[in-house]
Amino acid sequence: MRALAVSERDLKRFMRNPFVIIASIFMPLMYLVIMGNSFQGELKHLPVLLVNQDSGPYSRRVVELLQALEDGPRTLEITRENDQKKAVDMVRDGFYKGVIIIPPDFSKNVVKNVEPQVGLLLDNTDSISAGSISGVVSRAMAYLKADYLAVRPDRATPQLRSIELYKKIDYDASLVPGIIVMAIFMGTTFTGAFSLVMDKFLGIHESYLSTPLTRFDLVAGTIMSGVLITTIMSIIVMIGGLMITGIKLAGGIGTLVLLLVTMVLTALGLLSMIFTVLGRADHPRIVGVLVGFLNVIFYFPSGAVYPIESLPNWLRAFAKVNPEAYAVHAFKELILKGSGFTAIRGDLMFFVAFIAFMLCLATLTFKRTM
Amino acid sequence: MAYAAEVKNIVKKFQSVTAVNDVSFSVNEGEIFGFLGPNGAGKTTLIRILTCLMKPTSGQASIRGIDVVKHPSLVRRNIGVVSQALTSDLDLTAYENLNIYGKYFDVPKKERKESIDYLLGKVDLKDRAKDLVATYSGGMRRRLEIARGLIHKPYILFLDEPTIGLDPQSRRVIWELLQKIRKETGLTIFITTHYMDEADVLCDRIGIIDYGKIVALDSPANLKRTIGGFDIIEVTLGNFGPEGMEKLKAMPFVKSVTEKDESLRIYVEDAAKSMPVLFEEFKKTGVIIEYLAIHEQTLEDVFIHYTGKTIREAETQKVNFFIGAGAPRRMPGARI
Repeated sequence: MRALAVSERDLKRFMRNPFVIIASIFMPLMYLVIMGNSFQGELKHLPVLLVNQDSGPYSRRVVELLQALEDGPRTLEITRENDQKKAVDMVRDGFYKGVIIIPPDFSKNVVKNVEPQVGLLLDNTDSISAGSISGVVSRAMAYLKADYLAVRPDRATPQLRSIELYKKIDYDASLVPGIIVMAIFMGTTFTGAFSLVMDKFLGIHESYLSTPLTRFDLVAGTIMSGVLITTIMSIIVMIGGLMITGIKLAGGIGTLVLLLVTMVLTALGLLSMIFTVLGRADHPRIVGVLVGFLNVIFYFPSGAVYPIESLPNWLRAFAKVNPEAYAVHAFKELILKGSGFTAIRGDLMFFVAFIAFMLCLATLTFKRTM
Repeated sequence: MAYAAEVKNIVKKFQSVTAVNDVSFSVNEGEIFGFLGPNGAGKTTLIRILTCLMKPTSGQASIRGIDVVKHPSLVRRNIGVVSQALTSDLDLTAYENLNIYGKYFDVPKKERKESIDYLLGKVDLKDRAKDLVATYSGGMRRRLEIARGLIHKPYILFLDEPTIGLDPQSRRVIWELLQKIRKETGLTIFITTHYMDEADVLCDRIGIIDYGKIVALDSPANLKRTIGGFDIIEVTLGNFGPEGMEKLKAMPFVKSVTEKDESLRIYVEDAAKSMPVLFEEFKKTGVIIEYLAIHEQTLEDVFIHYTGKTIREAETQKVNFFIGAGAPRRMPGARI
């Protein structure tokens, strides 16, 4: 198969010039160390579920206070759910950041002054979001106290019992999925289409364009070698990230297989996309400019450093077609939560469709002649 | 019988510039056919059309009777190409370069290995087969690229300025190599060059191309014969005016006189017999001979005859107003 020969040529050339690969591994790890300790911010639009099992007046007041948070500072986006177990499962699958549970006896306990409690289950793998939700819900509880419990405040103070679904994840650890995606993006920018751009720049492409290699051979061949190099790079970056942050992978062989599949699909998706963008470029400077631009527009609205839910509407809309957002979500599920296939099924399906579309587009737009 | 290559009324335009202007010619099987012309004349554009790297604006071209526009993939299987730029991979060894190209042409593994061994021996690189091409000289890279162009046993080999930038010794090695290959295999070779001596030594037939048009096409000997087959006396004269020129042209043994820079080129049938008469005439009229040279006609003279200028003059003029559409956009080592 001729495409394999194209890959072989590409791989041999990279193996003899390992500097770029080493630098591309080092850079995301440095990012992890530096960024891991330097990011703060006020969050918005955090999706939470509300399970209200109480029909009393005080639970209605709690709901009103929560709605005020939704309508005012827009910290929360509340969805009602009746089934507590289903609600918890949806948090585990990454669709929501937490569940607020008002138990059946909440109003009665307020009246009786016997420590009324509201439950809060948090997806603490996203430490920023979890902290923010916990904070605003606590403040809401404080208002309830002021409004209704002035007579015997101490005994009747509503207590918030916060339950973390996962073991504690520090902020730097929460960046690990993002730096894996960053490593994959970097790998895709100096392999794949870039190899052909350099060939064009050096005039080397003329020799193989006069061979029977088809457009598909050239596109598929360079993407194959790119996937291999990028996947190896991202595995190394993941191991480095886990060692630096001290995360221990939950899940077994199944998780590792899913991680590998996600890495390969992410690399394939990004390589196909970059090929579509750079397929006709003929100067490394064009690559430099476009890569910097693409890195900004794909990485920051990916959820790697800041929750997508708290981005402005137009950026949230963009995130829906941003492949890096799906990759970050999948890696978070697998690395931080040890989730299974169900949690990342949507991400993988997106990538399969995205790759098919981009690969067709890359092949069609690639110019076979000079 | 189909020609090895046939071109009919090919035109190639780049926006307002016509790089190839209604060119027609054919290449016979087994011959070395050359295109001679200055940089920017349209040689590379033509070779790129024939090797399916560019589509013509109009006209037809075929290799072995196969249309280059309609069946490019079939044409590519029949051709070997050695581009003007050095295109071998520096980070691969010579063996790897040939092996990968063999794979591009689907050459079976056993046959590929045999071909590589044979070709590396032919181009005298067997001892350096495992060395990275980055350690090669320009001449060695060019020899390797000729071997690469032959890895799939092509029907016709195209070489675009194969000795450009090489030292005289390396150029001769390439010439001998190509002659040896043709002699042993009967391969058809299509070559472009702007070196007169290269065209003269290598080619069975030469097309002289200027401003995208073929101005003459024949064997080197015939081309020289068509402009008269004369000796040329080149002189720089002092005290010589229009009146003297009239007298000179009127002399019975003088076939023609052309001016080149400050010199005159006097075409005569026999320089040995003509010179004493000329000297006598110059002495009589007080003309001073400042410089004198005698030479037989070369392709340079043929080029001057058909284009009215030397190939170097043609190149200088083209730099001024012709966009070198066919030239590689960037050469290795070009500054970023």
